[in-house]
Amino acid sequence: MKDCEELGDCPDARIEKLYDYLDGELSHKDLVEIKAHLDSCAECAKEYDLECVIREVVKRSCTEKAPTSLKDNILERIGQLKTAGH
Amino acid sequence: MGTPASVSEQLAADFQLNVTLEQRRRSAAPGNGRVDFPPMNTTAPAGSSSTENDQLDVSTESDADRKARFERDAMQYVDQLYSAAMRMARNPSDAEDLVQEAYTKAFSAFHQYKPGTNLKAWLYRILTNTYINLYRKRQREPLQSHSDTIEDWQLAKAAEHTSSGLRSAEAEALDHLPDSDIKNALQSIPEEFRLAVYFSDVEGFAYKEISEIMNTPIGTVMSRLHRGRKLLRDLLSEYALERGLGTPAAVEGVKGTKQESAK
Repeated sequence: MKDCEELGDCPDARIEKLYDYLDGELSHKDLVEIKAHLDSCAECAKEYDLECVIREVVKRSCTEKAPTSLKDNILERIGQLKTAGH
Repeated sequence: MGTPASVSEQLAADFQLNVTLEQRRRSAAPGNGRVDFPPMNTTAPAGSSSTENDQLDVSTESDADRKARFERDAMQYVDQLYSAAMRMARNPSDAEDLVQEAYTKAFSAFHQYKPGTNLKAWLYRILTNTYINLYRKRQREPLQSHSDTIEDWQLAKAAEHTSSGLRSAEAEALDHLPDSDIKNALQSIPEEFRLAVYFSDVEGFAYKEISEIMNTPIGTVMSRLHRGRKLLRDLLSEYALERGLGTPAAVEGVKGTKQESAK
């Protein structure tokens, strides 16, 4: 198995193309090309999967809920602001 | 592409420059403590209720109406802003302060927000500015050491697999990392990279939106994202290895070299 070069000359370029693809930042033409490529290249499909997993785990791990008191505190401070300003 | 050292220095300088510009802009703003947050160019509406505001004439709106509109439209993002603030402030109490400060600023500047534009991105921009201007200066102490919280460590609950079914060993390993590892890894990459990755991965902001939130050119956003993602990926594979979740071969695979499967 040799490194696939269809998406770029070096692994970095290839991965960056995948990043842009995943971020939805490619032109329609590039998008269609990459999609077709991913269907036929196991190596790049594996990279793609890995990037998807990283996004999933980041999303999963980094969505804390604010303490309930925070909303109340904000509303209270905004209320004070309003009366102070007028 | 430049050398890693000079690029990261340049990024740090970029960030610093933005701070300076923002401070200058702020100090030029009239009124006591008034902050200038003009509408962002982003037109994609991000709130369910933004369409009904399209016709709103903000200049004739009463204070009570404006407050009601703020509570209805802006307060729904408290959890999300708090979560982002956790990536900035590093501990819950400071994150709360940061969000509270940002919301106070946002309310004071709410007349500058153009209804129908992306409110969430506007709030994120205020949060980021608040962090940079007010908060970051205070953070002189070194990063908290990454003491892995063992109690957080649980192997993934009946993992919901992605549809491909062809997951590689390294993808599998990363998916089994505990949340604390992911947070630590994200926290260990440079701040500008971290925030860019967070805005993109968790909030799904487009490059253009991130560039407005971080007040930086799109090219810089892309470079921060690319570098941040690579750093994050390498860190996560290291963590997986430490947890005994991956094989050295799997990690090599992560780094883009060829992987020969050992049976």
